[in-house]
Amino acid sequence: MRSEDVQEKDEKVSRRDFLTISALATGALALLGIVAGVFRFFKSDASYEEARSFKIGKPENFPVGTFRNIADKKVFIVSDDAGVYAISSVCTHLGCLVYETDTGFQCPCHGSKYNQVGKVISGPAPRGLPWYEITQDVDGSLVVDSSREVPAGTKNRFS
Amino acid sequence: MHSRFYLSLLLISGLLVISYLGLTAYHAVMPEWKYYQAEYKDLVVKNAKDDATRKRAMAMTLGFKQVYLKDLKREDRCINCHAGVDNPLMEGAKVPFKKHSGNYLVNHPVDKFGCTVCHDGQSFATNEKEAHGKGHETHWDYPILPLKYVQSSCAQCHDFNMLAKNGGEKVAKGEELFREKGCKGCHKIDGVGGDIGKALDGVGNQPIAYFPMKHVIGERTVFNWLKQHFVDPRALVAESAMKVKLAAGEDDLLTTYALSLKSEEMPKKYRRINYANPPKYDGEALYKMYCSACHEDGDKTIYDEVFKRTVPAIKNPSLLRTMNDANMDVIVKEGRAGTQMTAWKSSAAGLSDEQIKEIIGYLALKRPAEQHEPFGLAAFTGDVKHGKEVYEVNCSVCHGKDAKGGENLLGISLRSPVVQKKIDTELLAVTIADGRAGTSMPPFIKDSEVLTKQDVADVVAFIKEFPSAAK
Ligand code: FES
Repeated sequence: MRSEDVQEKDEKVSRRDFLTISALATGALALLGIVAGVFRFFKSDASYEEARSFKIGKPENFPVGTFRNIADKKVFIVSDDAGVYAISSVCTHLGCLVYETDTGFQCPCHGSKYNQVGKVISGPAPRGLPWYEITQDVDGSLVVDSSREVPAGTKNRFS
Repeated sequence: MHSRFYLSLLLISGLLVISYLGLTAYHAVMPEWKYYQAEYKDLVVKNAKDDATRKRAMAMTLGFKQVYLKDLKREDRCINCHAGVDNPLMEGAKVPFKKHSGNYLVNHPVDKFGCTVCHDGQSFATNEKEAHGKGHETHWDYPILPLKYVQSSCAQCHDFNMLAKNGGEKVAKGEELFREKGCKGCHKIDGVGGDIGKALDGVGNQPIAYFPMKHVIGERTVFNWLKQHFVDPRALVAESAMKVKLAAGEDDLLTTYALSLKSEEMPKKYRRINYANPPKYDGEALYKMYCSACHEDGDKTIYDEVFKRTVPAIKNPSLLRTMNDANMDVIVKEGRAGTQMTAWKSSAAGLSDEQIKEIIGYLALKRPAEQHEPFGLAAFTGDVKHGKEVYEVNCSVCHGKDAKGGENLLGISLRSPVVQKKIDTELLAVTIADGRAGTSMPPFIKDSEVLTKQDVADVVAFIKEFPSAAK
């Protein structure tokens, strides 16, 4: 009799508690979801700028000995025995476009000089020309990603 | 009790919001294009010919892609689904993974040109329905072009001579037809052409609402309107005066050309048209472009069903004998007020003096060597009163009682400024005396002797009196 009483009382209380707790919890969860959803809009999938990575064509277009200046992408593509690599053509001083010389690269603006691997030899440039990552796309063409730097000297052979 | 009711309400609405959020989240994580990219990845893995490619394919990440085209003012997102468009491995794959046909992409790489610059469609959309822009619900004026019309886009950057030989045959043929069918006889482009029809500048990228779409069969798109309008203009625009005599397939070619008439010019670095040497046309080509729509081949007088009047035979030797180049120059330049013949001078329909000279030179090839006999009108004094009687008996049947010509009358209006001011009286007299072979104008003296020379002089005097006498 006693135990039955207790049980009944327990059950009643727990049922009401359950409703209260679950209702409040769902409400809070829904609110949280909405707030999180709002934050989702601060991050966009697409940016309104030119893609930082771009295709440069099949590896066979870059046989050993190739030196190509892709002016509109501001990058030099070089291919030697050890592989292909991409060196930025933007001077690290104030951003002029460097040109190729016998000994490496030269900036026309304030006279910075770089050697063949883009290391500063003289001038105001604070650091060497960055090297960019080259990968190969599934369609076989090489892709330069100017948002990803690689250590100078990284050369890869592709086929 | 109340609190229980509100708690249940909170519980239910909370659950509803959560499930809605769940659905939205799922949709954000798995948008339509992601399924396509996953399928594409599987396809590349399957089609890979060597291990290296297979490895690269396996490492592919699925993600949102776009081609940002600053100068073309668009971001093309088509490659999210059409992922294999420049992948040689996708040669025989099904749409949307298929590689682009032909070698167009060699000179038009996707990262420089995108897709919508040629194919139209909505550049920003990320699902098929909206990207293709078909149907009223997408609220898009430039739905993806059917492949048969795609060449219209080539003409944005290339000239027709080049296109005719290099994969733009359809639009080049359309442009040729446009010239040969004499469309510019009624339609202006760049300020040159007749004024019976609408100017066609920019018609190729007008919004859908520009066209009276009411009677279009099928989807209400600009290209459907154009095609159906070429087949039967009056089915779409009841009051249209447009003539069409097109062979099968020519409607599509002309539609392709019409679509290429865009109001916006491509950025300079994309254009390959050489404006320095615009094509030059000879007299015959110019005749076709500007005259043939009404005068056809110019050898016979034609009764025009739409205009409800006769169109003179301007290559008729008899007419050419009575008219010298200067007379014709006046008519071509000033037109004939009151008829559909517009003034073709450079300040009106836009032909240069040189072009008009070319056309007249072409017509004059048909001029007989022997000159007409001079009438010698100067020797007569015209009697207007008698001239009126002669007119009523002999002339009014065709030229009308009021001499205005008009509906169902064979003759031209004699009150037009050209007859009144520009043509000299001697020429009028010769025409009446000799008639005009090949037209309905009979000779009134030559061979027939219906009138005397004095009668003709009187009628001429009467005709010249019109402007003051009538009205
Ligand atoms: S920008 Fe190159 S040296 Fe100053």
